[in-house]
Amino acid sequence: MSNNFIDYILRIRLPIILFVAVTSFAITYFASRAERDGVGYTPDQPINFSHALHAGQMKIDCQYCHTDVEKSRHASIPAVSTCMNCHTIARKDKPEIIKLTKYYTDGTPIPWKRIHKVPDYAYFNHSSHVNKGIECQTCHGPVEEMEKVSQVKPFTMGDCLSCHRNAQSNLPYLTSVKNGPDNCWACHR
Amino acid sequence: MSDNFNNNDINQNSDPNYWRSFEELYKDEKTLKAKHDEFKEGVTDNFEVNKDLSGLSRRKFLALLGASAALAGAGCSDYRDKGEIVPYNKRPEEITLGKANYYSSTCMGCEYSCGILIKTREGRPIKVDGNPDHPVSKGKICSKGQASILDLYDPSRIQTPLIRRGSSFLSSDWKTVDEEILKVLNENSDKEIALVTHTIVSPTLLNLINEFKVKYPTTVVYSYELFNNSIKNSAWKKCYNQDSFPLIKWNEANIILSLEGDFLGVDGNKIENVRLYSEKRDVMKSTDFNRLYTVEGNLSLTGMNSDYRLRLKPDLQYDFVLSLLNEIVLVKKASKLSIDSNALTELNKFSLTSFIQKNKFDKKVIDSLVNDLVANKGNAIVYSGRTLNEEVHIAVNLLNEVLGNTSLYRDDASSQASSGANLTALSELVEKLKKGVVKAVIHFDTNTLYHLSSVTNVEDSFKKAVNITFAQTVNETTAISNFVLPTNHNFESWGDAKVRNGFYSLVQPVIAPLYNTRQKEAVLLGWVSDKSAGYSETQYLEYIKEYWNKNIYSKVNSLLSFDRYWYGVLHDGVAKVAETVSQSFSFNTIAYSHLKSETKSNSGFTVLLQESYTLGDGRYANNGWLQELPHPVTKVTWDNYAAISESSAKKLSLKTDDLIEVNAGGKKIKLPILVQPGVADDLIAIELGYGRKNSPVVANEVGFNANELLNLSSAKSPWLIVGATVSKVGGTYKVVSTQDHHSYDDSLIQDIHLKRAIIQEGTVEQYKSNPEFLHTKKHNLINIYKDFEYKDVKWAMSIDLNKCLGCGDCVVACNVENNIPVVGKDQVALGREMNWLRIDRYYSGTPENPKVSIQPMLCQHCDHAPCENVCPVVATTHSDDGLNQMVYNRCVGTRYCSNNCPYKVRRYNFFDFRDHFRKGYQKEASLELLVNPEVTLRGRGVMEKCTFCVQRIMDARQEATNNNTKIKGTDVQTACQQACGTEAIIFGDMNDVESKLSKYRNHELGYVVLEELNVKPNVTYIAKLRNTFPEEV
Repeated sequence: MSNNFIDYILRIRLPIILFVAVTSFAITYFASRAERDGVGYTPDQPINFSHALHAGQMKIDCQYCHTDVEKSRHASIPAVSTCMNCHTIARKDKPEIIKLTKYYTDGTPIPWKRIHKVPDYAYFNHSSHVNKGIECQTCHGPVEEMEKVSQVKPFTMGDCLSCHRNAQSNLPYLTSVKNGPDNCWACHR
Repeated sequence: MSDNFNNNDINQNSDPNYWRSFEELYKDEKTLKAKHDEFKEGVTDNFEVNKDLSGLSRRKFLALLGASAALAGAGCSDYRDKGEIVPYNKRPEEITLGKANYYSSTCMGCEYSCGILIKTREGRPIKVDGNPDHPVSKGKICSKGQASILDLYDPSRIQTPLIRRGSSFLSSDWKTVDEEILKVLNENSDKEIALVTHTIVSPTLLNLINEFKVKYPTTVVYSYELFNNSIKNSAWKKCYNQDSFPLIKWNEANIILSLEGDFLGVDGNKIENVRLYSEKRDVMKSTDFNRLYTVEGNLSLTGMNSDYRLRLKPDLQYDFVLSLLNEIVLVKKASKLSIDSNALTELNKFSLTSFIQKNKFDKKVIDSLVNDLVANKGNAIVYSGRTLNEEVHIAVNLLNEVLGNTSLYRDDASSQASSGANLTALSELVEKLKKGVVKAVIHFDTNTLYHLSSVTNVEDSFKKAVNITFAQTVNETTAISNFVLPTNHNFESWGDAKVRNGFYSLVQPVIAPLYNTRQKEAVLLGWVSDKSAGYSETQYLEYIKEYWNKNIYSKVNSLLSFDRYWYGVLHDGVAKVAETVSQSFSFNTIAYSHLKSETKSNSGFTVLLQESYTLGDGRYANNGWLQELPHPVTKVTWDNYAAISESSAKKLSLKTDDLIEVNAGGKKIKLPILVQPGVADDLIAIELGYGRKNSPVVANEVGFNANELLNLSSAKSPWLIVGATVSKVGGTYKVVSTQDHHSYDDSLIQDIHLKRAIIQEGTVEQYKSNPEFLHTKKHNLINIYKDFEYKDVKWAMSIDLNKCLGCGDCVVACNVENNIPVVGKDQVALGREMNWLRIDRYYSGTPENPKVSIQPMLCQHCDHAPCENVCPVVATTHSDDGLNQMVYNRCVGTRYCSNNCPYKVRRYNFFDFRDHFRKGYQKEASLELLVNPEVTLRGRGVMEKCTFCVQRIMDARQEATNNNTKIKGTDVQTACQQACGTEAIIFGDMNDVESKLSKYRNHELGYVVLEELNVKPNVTYIAKLRNTFPEEV
């Protein structure tokens, strides 16, 4: 291999490759950050359920459906039977409710698309947050205004810790709140 | 300046003083013209863009760069799919997602039927613990019960009924098999229907079997256990005219002499025995300890916990008891009973002095034993193990009478009469089969053919009848069967049990049958009731309820309706009924006539067949957790072996792992030996339960089938064979253990546990005279760290070595709770077992009379943890409640932490063991249901270790937060603590000075292992006190 060729590789090809790699990484990194963290994720759901209508306009309490949020790790997605508490009578003729009724009578669950997710090795607990008086909207955004639910916060470890370490400034509506634990086993075990 | 110049000036009137070439100097036309051009002529000649540069032109490159950025942007602009959340259609009322439900039931793993609480998450059982309301087991269950949950999800369960067609099996359905079997059963002949069962503890099943007998009058029931109390019971009957011997008040005995009786291990109801025994080993209550003497052949769990242990071949026990009787009755004249002259002549044949000489016993020990027995008349107990021959039990009964120890017999409880069912009944069945008078054999979840391996041509005999086998997995018996009926696991079944007077317990299903299986009782009910076509899962439930309504509800005078009473019992797991049976014991003098010394030929080896501590009679052989649980004494996993004493091994020039052939009673087996300290000379001790054939992947061909040596033909003990020969055959077989076999001759490691003060122990007398005796020597502790202030709760553990017996129940409980994989024998051999909690066993003394020390070892959660400083990625850190945290998703697997751990408690995933063991057996779909969802599954290349059950701590924290209270130390129980039958493990908050934990931690006998390192462990050990006699201090 001639010296010229090595020279060429070092002086031209390598910088070009580096430039291309770094530029495209930087562009994609910053451009897709929100998507990677899931911010703005608004998937189509099997049934076009509107939180804006139910929670916003009709002011149904979050816990009418998400019953376990005060008791357990999971907020829980309501069973079809919970919907049918009203919809055996209400708006039976609407196309979405006909879909819903079909799920109910078939005995099949509704495969809702998951929007908010922390990794499997992170053990988030709804009840300890909700029972401290933290509002659902603090993490989930103004769900009661959303026709289609979409993720508004990144749900990353940095996002969790920013609040755990500065709870009061992040939760100004609580009169007194201590910082959350920031040891590893608080979430990972 | 530039104003004065123009192009022409430069070109034509350039300063001639500067020239670059002669051509320029002499103003060559061509050169001057060339200076006008940007490039030299022909500069682009011979220039191939694609050859010398890469295929990219600048334009192309830019286009591509743009395109790739756009593409990357476009590729990422679609969000990652996060899957679906699939809620219930109609949610069951009792389920809160993420919260466990507990259901009471009864363990049917053995005839003792302990009460259990089954923890289920979202409808799937994930953990079993004891039911605290159960009057006998009181919230504890053994390792087998803990691990039995694995059998529920065992991927190798039979999933559909099988019918033999020629030499192979055909999958079938229940309707077909029921029809075909009914044809066989209803066949008009006076041939026998044999129903082979294990001990029947269910009153409802007993009732059903009686109805079965009415419907099929030729039925004969054979109940058996591979290890049973039949010999002991028949001896008791001869002495006291009662069917079964009474249980013993271990908690009231000052002196216990156990002859070949492993009552803390496998002999009797271990859960109850250890609880009662350890009541007199509680330093917190008093120093009035019991004193345990054992005289036994092989070093057992009871033997290793005894204060004095003498080794004796089991066939010499009779001579020993008679010598003792002679000493006590004739020499000490201390008998509380007048003994008739016939017996006296028998006693006169023996003398303790000559027995001591002959068997090289320590005279001092025997002397103090005799003194103790005489001095504690009425408060001592002599216990003979069930494997001994009848005359020994009679002699022991007499000895207890002589000493007036009968007050320690429990008048409220006796061993189950039904477990007296002996093995000889089975050999009668074989005889009948040979004669051809049996038309069908129903194996009621028994592995009859494996247990009868000692019978020659047993398969051919059984093949003469139609074999109908209930089983969960294939086994030796299903191999020869005509019908294989897959039966439900206990957790999928209904049932009941009565093991003592005064209460009944219920079995309830906690999950619907996973496969097309039925519970065996329901199938039997179908054959009885002719309604087999309309099978429903509640059919047997209705039958039980009917039985309870008639027989139990009527007895309790409840004010509730039956339904409400039933649901109450179902909730509690047990139903108390008013039944008091008080027995009195009057010794039958005719029993003297059974005292007969035999002229024994003591030549050759004696073979002692023992029950496996982990596998039972072999029914747990397909349970990886139990196979891998180290033997409590030898620490061997995945195998059985012939335990032999050092001197016997030397005589035959054998060493551990050498293969031998044992020839006992005309039957031969080949197996490896293990040179085991404390074994009597000329004795071979082998555990049964191994060597399964035609079995699922975990059990198959693991270990050696020593059932072949069982002596079923004579009235003598089937587990004790005298006059055996042992010969060396070529070759070796690697027996693997989790701890090194102790070396007695290496001065460097001999007694290292005492030299390094890993084990610190003393005697009761020592403690009484100086409670601080452990702490006379103070270490000069140097600290380079600033101590962290733990403001709130600080978790700590204390382990009372006086109570710890080394059984290993905690290890299995830990495995189940923390999703610990099975690694397999090959990996254990390399030291890669994954158990977070191990039980170290140390020997001191001589190989003949070893002193054994036991110590559970787990992560010590050191305040100054050496593992934490060396992790390059900070994957192991300390929490502010005193826990040494391990973060799996941060770990990169350098193993520095393990290298720096002085206690060697960290475990490394050299493989994804779930995938590695038996070709991904643990990755089968059904076993995924077993996983505890609160604990991460660790992948390959990750370090792990004991977490102090952090998931339970977080759960308790949760509960406290929700109730707006502060977490207390008593809110959390670790899995090992919960499982410990003697409550040797105490867990709690050391900052709470009033707590039980603090009292243990600050106890005079408390010490931390390797204190001189000053790593400040949070596990305190309470030093073991041996209750030796005062002179021996």
